[in-house]
Amino acid sequence: MAADHEPTQARHVDLILRQIETLPTLPVLATRLLALTSSDQSSAREVIELIKHDQALTARVLSLCRKAYRGVNDDVLTVDKAVVLLGFNTIRNTVLSIKVVELFDDHERRAGGGSVHRPNGGLPRLDFWRHSLAVGIAAEMIAAAHPGRGLDPAEAFVAGLLHDIGKLALDHVLPRSYARVVELATLHQGEMAEFERRVIGMDHHTAGKRLAEQWRLPLMLQDCIWLHGTPIEALPRVEHQRMIALIGLANLIARQQHVGYSGSNVLGQDIRALATAIDLNPTAVQDCAARLHEQVQQRSAVLGVENEPTQQVFLESIQRANEALGRLNNALERRSRAAQQQARMLEAIPTFHTAAANASNVQEVLEAVVASANAVLGQGFYAVLYQDRYLEDRSTAWIIGQYEEPTQTLRCQVIEPPPHMPDLAKLVADQAMSMSLMGVLPWIADALVAAPDLRTVKLLPLSCGYGAAAVLLHDRANLPPWNQLAALTSTWGAAVAGASRHEGALRMGEELAEANRALAAAKDRLLHTESMARLGEMAAGAAHEMNNPLAIISGRSQLLVMSLPPGTEQHKAASTIFEQAHRLSDLISAMHLFADPPRPNRVLVDMGALLDETVRGVRNRLSQREADVAIDLQIKNRLPQIAVDPDQIADVVTQLLMNAIQASPRSSVTVIARVDRATQRLLVQVIDDGVGMDAHTLAHAMDPFFSAKPAGRRCGIGLTRAQKLASTNGGWIELRSTLNEGTVASLWLPLNHAQTEQPAESSGDRLRLAANPIPA
Amino acid sequence: MSDSKEMIDLREKQVFTTGEAAEICKVSQQTIIRCFDSGRLRGFRVPGSRFRRIPRDELIRFMRANDIPTTALEGGRKRVLVVDDDEQILELFVDLLGRDGRLEVKTASTGYDAGLLTEQFRPDLMILDYMLPDINGNIVCQRVRSNEALSSMKILVVSGVVNQDEINDLIGAGADEFMKKPFDVKKLQERIAALLELEV
Repeated sequence: MAADHEPTQARHVDLILRQIETLPTLPVLATRLLALTSSDQSSAREVIELIKHDQALTARVLSLCRKAYRGVNDDVLTVDKAVVLLGFNTIRNTVLSIKVVELFDDHERRAGGGSVHRPNGGLPRLDFWRHSLAVGIAAEMIAAAHPGRGLDPAEAFVAGLLHDIGKLALDHVLPRSYARVVELATLHQGEMAEFERRVIGMDHHTAGKRLAEQWRLPLMLQDCIWLHGTPIEALPRVEHQRMIALIGLANLIARQQHVGYSGSNVLGQDIRALATAIDLNPTAVQDCAARLHEQVQQRSAVLGVENEPTQQVFLESIQRANEALGRLNNALERRSRAAQQQARMLEAIPTFHTAAANASNVQEVLEAVVASANAVLGQGFYAVLYQDRYLEDRSTAWIIGQYEEPTQTLRCQVIEPPPHMPDLAKLVADQAMSMSLMGVLPWIADALVAAPDLRTVKLLPLSCGYGAAAVLLHDRANLPPWNQLAALTSTWGAAVAGASRHEGALRMGEELAEANRALAAAKDRLLHTESMARLGEMAAGAAHEMNNPLAIISGRSQLLVMSLPPGTEQHKAASTIFEQAHRLSDLISAMHLFADPPRPNRVLVDMGALLDETVRGVRNRLSQREADVAIDLQIKNRLPQIAVDPDQIADVVTQLLMNAIQASPRSSVTVIARVDRATQRLLVQVIDDGVGMDAHTLAHAMDPFFSAKPAGRRCGIGLTRAQKLASTNGGWIELRSTLNEGTVASLWLPLNHAQTEQPAESSGDRLRLAANPIPA
Repeated sequence: MSDSKEMIDLREKQVFTTGEAAEICKVSQQTIIRCFDSGRLRGFRVPGSRFRRIPRDELIRFMRANDIPTTALEGGRKRVLVVDDDEQILELFVDLLGRDGRLEVKTASTGYDAGLLTEQFRPDLMILDYMLPDINGNIVCQRVRSNEALSSMKILVVSGVVNQDEINDLIGAGADEFMKKPFDVKKLQERIAALLELEV
């Protein structure tokens, strides 16, 4: 039985087509009748013979004749007479129709043992046939009313009768699916074919065409079955185009008169317009429509379809028409309500957009969302939960904003999610509709100070492309249906996501600019360090090569000095050669500092003693011209012992002192040493009130061989070397100077070993320079 | 003159008879034989005979152990080997050190020559440059120090090297002192005198 093998997903068109081919074949009688033509005299004879052989058929034909010609004497009525009275074509078509109806009903009865396996609903057979009969009769009447248009009434009748044979075929093959089709078409008041295609994958037009082909029905019938639902404008220019259109017209009339069941509930077309379109007399067509009920009543009995009095048929039709109208009304009302709500949602979108477009950050967009929600969903409690994904440290923060009616921000706070909290977007991605807050995010409850009752708070995800951009918390009990709300929540979500991205982009832009600045500075530093290192490497390589000749110059000149009588010009010249050779060698060694700085031998040093000793050493070294410069050493409270290389630090302090003395101080050079409590470092400052430096000199003070002094004066790498030594001992030197006012050189040293790094903002080996006035 | 000629011959010798050793040490031959036989003065007997022979190193060790002056054996002048690939530097050293009559100076330009001369010339002091054409100064130091016969030799590295690591390497390889080029002649003379235990 077909029903048992019906595929659950009844969309396999191939399967349907195959099953259509297994439909019962047309009885021999019907096939034979179709081959006969009215023009042939022998045909009439043969028809009569065929009918005579089928007793049931004979009875039907005679009954038809009696109905058509009241008053005909039953005694004299024979099949021969009936054929003469009714005409060959009428007989033929009547017989054909009877046979087709019988075929399906018999087949059902035989195969299914009655209606046991028919699902509830499905195609109501009786009503179906009544509708088909009505279409046939309407087509026949209209054709008869328009002689000479190439429309044979008898052919029109058969075409009308069989036009929906495809529905029968589909119902026969897939009873359950077809029951669903009938149900849907009734519920939605739509076109049958549409639901057939949706549920089954094939409509009754195509199925009917297949069946007609299989039965080898005349081409005209095939096309009527196939194309009767096609609008006249779209019909192919075939020979029987008008007949097809006529069937369409008859179909419409039958539906409008509510005779039987067609399944289709679309009545939109205007009969008069359609009649005019196929060149028929609209008035005549209307006339036919008016007589339809009467005609159906007369003929249905012949087909074995029904035997009801006219009045009853008519009443039933009216009742059915009323029902249809009621259903239609209901459907319209539903749609109207939905449309109204949808309109409200859609109207809310541009209002929201206007507000959101003026928002300059995420907070303002969230306020716009809440304002919009107040307007659309009604006033109440609202809060918005969202994640800020563009923080500088690449982490995300959960932020919740709560609002007082209507849009006043009550409170906006960052909340701490429990550990391993999934991303907000993922958290609510699966949840399309409102869900309870307590069920999903109970930990937020503490933050919701404004909520009147936490149990009523629900979550509404505001989705965008990647999930939920934010979640709207609300206390609304009833929301509009999701399909209406979706457009609005998506708009809200997209706006929040957009604002969030924009904010992120801005922040990233700022970070990028910062990174660029840092990069430029680092590059600058690197270049400086690199060039120093290269210079050092070169110096190291050159040192060996240069020191050999220097050794010879120095050695030979010294031997000369030893052999020449002291006080002579030659003796003095030889001494000068010797000294200069050593000076050159010192410069070469100093350059090497950058390639291979001397490693400090760090021991605990009493800085007070070291400074004292160093100052004394410098005093002894001063030339006569410099000797009247006073060096004032001030040690503020007791200095701690620190771990540095004493020789190197003494070197550094000596260098700073020599620089201060050579700056021609007006009064004296002051050395102040103290512990800087704020930075936990030891600070030694060498202060002079000498010539000072301008900004240019200050900026280059640490460059090796740079000197602002006139050419020829001794210049060099003293400060560079001092800075290098300070840095290998974990410290650094800062210079502050003002032209003609003096210079402060500050040596910073770590108090303990761990403190070897200088502050991050300091620039590596470079001196820290500040061209601002010295504090008094 | 014959005496001095003999002494010069003795100075050149590598193996001594008991008579020669007695002459050098200014003791009787019997004393030498007694010391030889008791093992205090080590040596060997000529194969196939009973003649005693004493190697030079062992004789010097014996003399030092017994506070016998070695001037007779070593000729009174300290031998200095200068190793540098720069001819001018070598000339400077020869000129400088040659002025001191107590020193005998030889030069070598390569590590290989230096190695040969340490065996033949037996310097008391080697003045060594770090960078040599064939092998570096630290390798020369290592070779010298791995040879026990040269254990008394002093090594003074005089180099233009400024790299502290390389200097440390040299000291580690057995150099006694390091001086940087260019040097102060007077300081150099002081250091050499100190290493050779001479009066300045």
